[in-house]
Amino acid sequence: MSQFDAIFQPIQIGKLTIRNRVVSTAHAEVHATDGGMTTDRYVKYYEEKAKGGCGLCICGGSSVVSIDSPQAWWSSVNLSTDRIIPHFQNLADAVHKHGGKIMIQITHMGRRSRWDGYNWTTLVSPSGIREPVHRSTCKTIEPEEIQRIIGDYAKAARRAKEGGLDGVELSAVHQHLIDQFWSPRVNKRTDEWGGSYENRMRFGMEVLKAVREEVGPDFVVGMRICGDEFHPDGLTHEDMKQIAAYYDATGLVDFFGVIGSGCDTHNTLANVIPNMSYPPEPFLHLAAGIKEVVKAPVIHAQNIKDPNQAQRILEGGYVDMVGMTRAHIADPHIIAKIKMGQIDQIRQCVGANYCIDRQYQGLDVLCIQNAATSREYMGLPHIIGKTEGVVRKVVVVGGGPAGMEAARVAAERGHQVVLFEGQAQLGGQITLAAKAPQRDQMAGITRWYQLELARLNVDLRLNTYADEAQIKAEQPDIVILAVGGKPFIEQVPEWGADEGLIVSSWDILDGKVEPGKNVLVYDTICEFTGMSTADYLSEKGSKVELVTDDVKPGAAIGGTTFPTYYRSLYPKEVIMTSDLALHKVYREDEQLVAVLENEYTGQLEERVVDQVVVENGVRPDEALYYALKQQSLNKGQIDIEALYAIQPQPCLSESTAGDDFLLFRIGDCTAPRNTHAAIYDALRLCKDF
Amino acid sequence: MLNQILPLLIFGALLLAVVGGVRRIRLWRNGRPSDVPIMAGLAALPRRYLVDLHHVVARDKYISNTHVATGGGFVAAAILAILVHGLQLNSQILAWALLAATTSMFVGALFVAKRRVQPPERLSKGPWMRLPKSLLAFSIGFFLVTLPVTGLVPAVLGAWVLALILSVLIIWGLGEMFFGMTWGGPMKHAFAGALHLAFHRRAERFNGGRSTGLKPLHFDDQQQPLGVEKPSEFTWNQLLGFDACVQCGRCEAMCPAFAAGQPLNPKKLIQDMVVGLAGGSDAAYAGSPYPGKPLGEHQGGPFASIIAREGQGLLDAETLWSCTTCRACVEECPMMIEHVDAIVDMRRHLTLERGQTPNKGAEVIDNLIATDNPNGFNPASRMNWAADLALPVLSDVKRTDVLLWMGDGAFDMRNQRSLRALVKILRAAKVDFAVLGNEERDSGDVARRLGDEATFQSLAKRNITTLAQYSFRSIVTCDPHSFHVLKNEYSDFGGQYVVYHHSTFINHLRQTGKLNFAPYKGGSVTYHDPCYLGRYNGEYDAPRDLLAAAGIQVIEMERSGFRSRCCGGGGGAPITDIPGKQRIPDMRMEDIKQTGAEIVAVGCPQCTAMLEGVVDPRPEVLDIAEIIAKQLVEAEEAA
Repeated sequence: MSQFDAIFQPIQIGKLTIRNRVVSTAHAEVHATDGGMTTDRYVKYYEEKAKGGCGLCICGGSSVVSIDSPQAWWSSVNLSTDRIIPHFQNLADAVHKHGGKIMIQITHMGRRSRWDGYNWTTLVSPSGIREPVHRSTCKTIEPEEIQRIIGDYAKAARRAKEGGLDGVELSAVHQHLIDQFWSPRVNKRTDEWGGSYENRMRFGMEVLKAVREEVGPDFVVGMRICGDEFHPDGLTHEDMKQIAAYYDATGLVDFFGVIGSGCDTHNTLANVIPNMSYPPEPFLHLAAGIKEVVKAPVIHAQNIKDPNQAQRILEGGYVDMVGMTRAHIADPHIIAKIKMGQIDQIRQCVGANYCIDRQYQGLDVLCIQNAATSREYMGLPHIIGKTEGVVRKVVVVGGGPAGMEAARVAAERGHQVVLFEGQAQLGGQITLAAKAPQRDQMAGITRWYQLELARLNVDLRLNTYADEAQIKAEQPDIVILAVGGKPFIEQVPEWGADEGLIVSSWDILDGKVEPGKNVLVYDTICEFTGMSTADYLSEKGSKVELVTDDVKPGAAIGGTTFPTYYRSLYPKEVIMTSDLALHKVYREDEQLVAVLENEYTGQLEERVVDQVVVENGVRPDEALYYALKQQSLNKGQIDIEALYAIQPQPCLSESTAGDDFLLFRIGDCTAPRNTHAAIYDALRLCKDF
Repeated sequence: MLNQILPLLIFGALLLAVVGGVRRIRLWRNGRPSDVPIMAGLAALPRRYLVDLHHVVARDKYISNTHVATGGGFVAAAILAILVHGLQLNSQILAWALLAATTSMFVGALFVAKRRVQPPERLSKGPWMRLPKSLLAFSIGFFLVTLPVTGLVPAVLGAWVLALILSVLIIWGLGEMFFGMTWGGPMKHAFAGALHLAFHRRAERFNGGRSTGLKPLHFDDQQQPLGVEKPSEFTWNQLLGFDACVQCGRCEAMCPAFAAGQPLNPKKLIQDMVVGLAGGSDAAYAGSPYPGKPLGEHQGGPFASIIAREGQGLLDAETLWSCTTCRACVEECPMMIEHVDAIVDMRRHLTLERGQTPNKGAEVIDNLIATDNPNGFNPASRMNWAADLALPVLSDVKRTDVLLWMGDGAFDMRNQRSLRALVKILRAAKVDFAVLGNEERDSGDVARRLGDEATFQSLAKRNITTLAQYSFRSIVTCDPHSFHVLKNEYSDFGGQYVVYHHSTFINHLRQTGKLNFAPYKGGSVTYHDPCYLGRYNGEYDAPRDLLAAAGIQVIEMERSGFRSRCCGGGGGAPITDIPGKQRIPDMRMEDIKQTGAEIVAVGCPQCTAMLEGVVDPRPEVLDIAEIIAKQLVEAEEAA
């Protein structure tokens, strides 16, 4: 039998045959435009998954059915108007053309939204209880509104059907309106819509019946539910089994999507989209428990990223279909690659959650490592074709994310590529990031590049800090500098970097400097590195205080990741202090004294420690760039109009015969940004070489 | 004095030849009956010899010219010598003609001798090294004794000393050429070969025809054994065919199993059959042995088991299971011997009577019996590969223009890509097609070639019954094995179909303007001929024409067309998996690499699997449908 045969068993859901067992489950894309329409970007994003072989795409996480469930905050899809129907037709055609199927999640978010904009909506909820994650207050919903919203669901389902989609998924998960009614934690009503089990079930049941009545028996209607809210006063796994069986018994539900955890607190929210600190498929048992009590097929997503894992889950019969949603964001061609026997070429999701953490800020979903994802509409390719022009010698300096991507893309174009890296391994700052506890999977980004660069025969020169002479000795046509930078700990002379009073977060993570016993970590950036350094030190036994002048340590880390840092830091008694700037460090006997200044009062306080670690971001390394700049044909300049328009650099048409070469610099050696920015720089620049 | 001796010698030799011939014929008649037409066969003999056989021999110009001179010279000289010296007809014309014939034979014999100076590996040595000298003795002897008849030299030269010398030459020549012909000398090939051509079991092969389908076992015929256990269980004309072998070794030079160091050499196999029909051991065999099998250890007789149940027989079973049934030997054989038939006959015995199909063979057969496919997949999952293609299924639509026969490649993820490419092409050309869906079964190819004729016939009959329910004009398949079986082997069971290999069909679509191609921008391409498409069915041109039409210039391998080297995947060879010194697909990949091509185009799921099994770095393996599908320019769809 084939290694992945369980994945490639077609399945019947309702009247629909789906070609394999892999689903891209509903997630908020933040791609809809024009008041929630599925326009070009949206269509191309899903078309790419269908082209890549995905069996079923359920699009539009939290697509709204009613005008009082605001869509604009997260640019979600708006099914409250017939205007959506032709857009759905475009979407359906694009996916069906490649043999995929597409459904949409429809919902009313109830209290789980924001009211302070757009229509200044009065949010509704069964009992008017505030939602903490969105800090949203709401009114207690009235029976007339309940009836209106039930009708809105039915109309929305009709629009999906008329638009040619294959089905709808009713969201009764993530504390949307249906499960707000279900959960006694939120539903304190005493009328027919609350109190007893049947009453709490009523709203969802009425929605289900109304939808089914509207769309008839041949259109797929599924429900997404949670397997356990993980709140002492919330719905337990046994409750959810009872609820699933109750709805299943109606025969009106064609499938159940099951995920673990409620999500109306910061901490539970992190469970819903498990980041790299979680084990594989952490909540499969909950979905398997639901499967035991329902007849309809069960879909489960949550940290399923690998074809072997998917095969194992399906072969074990725990669920009927696996959601591989982030896996598709990282590589929309994952299924095609499994089929082609190109497992090693799959760009595997590492669980950095760049995608979802952007989404919760209302930003478009992007992938930390695949810059083409959700930019298909701009013409950024997932499969890079060979050039039909001249084959060039491309020298890339620096093996971090920007350099690795540049080397990969240039090699895919068919050029002859040399990659210089000063360290003994590829990865750059990714290597450092992966040193922290719970962050080791970051190295997966590098692992993929290593395999790809080897497959593409890129000439790797490790342990080589290339200088001007070495670069020119390669007789390059194009030089790409991606040398990154250094920790910027000299910014404030009083910190005493020159006197050796402080060390950088890199020195700690890299193991160059032994952890002290009593350590102050000063973090001005409030992203991953500071938290990781504190976590690393406390893991090694240091007593750590993490101090920032910002509003909160980890403030710039997204909603699904800062909770897992906190879960790690608090038990190790790391003290997290905000609003204090590092004023000065001086030595007193064997000890160091860190002088901290309150941002708001100017009051000074001191800490006596034996190590001060400063995380103050990166200072670009520009020396090589300025050594080469004047010698290059384009004087190192990137035409940003062409770059932003995803067009070829005009200077590529110039002859690079003899000693002439073009010079580009990308990634942190230009300005310190992040992994995605570095990779995007490289992809959009190099795809036209 | 010679005048008295010569008739005696000639008629004495002829008499001995007749006695030998009768004895040899009795050996052949140990075989089972065969219903070949005797008189029609004899009547067809000259043409079969002069045209069909010569066509094969002429692939080697040196030896064909040599043979025309030597053989033609000998036949003429023999007849004339009987007239001039045997019957003492005193005719100047006949005498001069005899001089000319012996001269021709002499010149030919010189070339035979020349080739024997440093003979190629494939040629057998032993008595064959003597043959050129015998030819020279015969031709010189009769030339000289004929000179006085013409009056060119005085008859006094018939002095007895000279006469004695000449007599020795004549006796030597006559002994080899007449006596040896029927008593097992090298000249046996002329006697047996001529009769073999006359009574060939596949008369369809002559006049440019082709006959490659295996002959069915008739299970209702109680007299017929289930395959061949003993030489006497071959039909008499098969035994005769073995005797026709000239041990030229052209088969040996082409056999992929021999080259891979597996214990098979088709020439030795035929010689072993000769040993078997006459009785004895292989000690006197003077050619290349089976790799790894020393000579002199095997023996047999007409009524002894070929594969001994205990101890050594005539052959070891692994010799039979090494064969890929690629027909390279049959294609090369100038005597048109049917090696593959013999091998399958003996395999039938091993599988049907003894249940001794080695390695994965038994498992594959069990799977075929239980699931109608060789790998034991759930038969209801045959359509999984096309779950998203909405292919019309015949049980729904009942009639179609083209039945797309999927083959068991439908279960294989690699071949599914080829199938999907083919579907894309058919759709682009707006072909009305449908599939059998889960009603399709394995064609029976593997079962049949593993010797399991019963399972083959069961599959064939059930497929034929299924096909009979529906209406279609032709069958198209991307599997040459299914193609061959449906086209050539189902007719014995009442299944007559128009069957096309997909390359032929797509090429036809192209020729009728149904497909448009974009300019080709991919890598360089060589083409590997699948055995069951090429040698079995003679389709060499369509794949090449198609690739050329798509703008691809095929770089030919040294061994291509009818000389294509097998991928190693046929005849159940990957299943029986007899070890050798190297793997056949590795050798084939070397052939491919020598062209420098970046892509090898194939037209067979089995070839694809075997060639893709070769470790990287190697050229990419693409089915012809995959290459063509990429080149399609599809008409703009109506908005």
